[in-house]
Amino acid sequence: MAELTANQLNPAAHDDHGHMSEEEHNNNMKLGVWLYLASEIVIFSIMIVGYIIFRINNEEIVAQAHEELGVALVTANTFVLLASSFFMVMGLRAMQGGNRAGMLRWIGLTALGGIVFLGGQYIEYSELAHLGIVLGFDTASEWSTFGMRFYAPTFFHGAHVFVGVLWALEVMRRGAKGRYDNNPIGIEMFGLYWHFVDVVWIMLFTLIYLV
Amino acid sequence: MTEAMTHEGEHHSNTVHLLGREITVEGGVYTVVFGGLAVLTVIEVLSAEFLKGAIHDAPDAAAALQAIKAILLLGIAIIKSSLVIWFYMHLKSEKPLIAVVILLPLLIAGLSIMYLLAIPPSGYGL
Repeated sequence: MAELTANQLNPAAHDDHGHMSEEEHNNNMKLGVWLYLASEIVIFSIMIVGYIIFRINNEEIVAQAHEELGVALVTANTFVLLASSFFMVMGLRAMQGGNRAGMLRWIGLTALGGIVFLGGQYIEYSELAHLGIVLGFDTASEWSTFGMRFYAPTFFHGAHVFVGVLWALEVMRRGAKGRYDNNPIGIEMFGLYWHFVDVVWIMLFTLIYLV
Repeated sequence: MTEAMTHEGEHHSNTVHLLGREITVEGGVYTVVFGGLAVLTVIEVLSAEFLKGAIHDAPDAAAALQAIKAILLLGIAIIKSSLVIWFYMHLKSEKPLIAVVILLPLLIAGLSIMYLLAIPPSGYGL
């Protein structure tokens, strides 16, 4: 049986020169981002499992850490990140409606939300350092072992927010030049990443600070 | 294409049907979802603080209250995450393949977590 080419399988997906249609290209780009996010789930899961196991075996130290951590600052930070996710999706909506200026405004607010979140995380880390909860490798120190489990997922998440802020600025730079006027797939890909970072935080906030 | 346009039109509408009522708000479903996320976060934090106090006041029932607290808060977190994935990440209108791509690692991670949690703190002593 002769091999079927991609054109024969789905003629509408390619033009006469074998190039993909814009819709097919967009779907492939989105699938690529979703696959990347799937790999991120595995990485974050490992860190979350590490924290849960530590928590089960060290209930007292975690309860003490909860007293020290408090929830006011981190709750405010959570609202900022949730709001930034809303700004992000509104940016995509604006671009899909042909409103480039609106998109730039919303994505700018998204980046600002990310920067404020990182500022809040810096303040939190500074306060914890003063309390002696540091990232250390002294296995004899309870605070040090807690610090390892606490900082690993939260700092890794913060690094993702930092990358997201840089990506948002790049989206704004390209958007200002009209790159997304006809096809906003670049904004949609960034949006998937940013919302995923938000979802991870929703879980970390509950597991580390509230439960 | 028609489906995509319908989907896009739905997201560009400022009118949302919620609990049998028609709500018109700038941003449509996205604004309503954000409101839901904010309310759920407030409920989550207040519940956590209330149950923390209850656990402190009733040490005899601490284990049961802690279990209730964990189930309640994780349930709220899962609802919040689902809202973001379903509406903001548009999983609602994506092909089923995308749902498989994201649900499969979640399933594997969930099973791995349950397996690891079943290991006693002292190990199996092999």
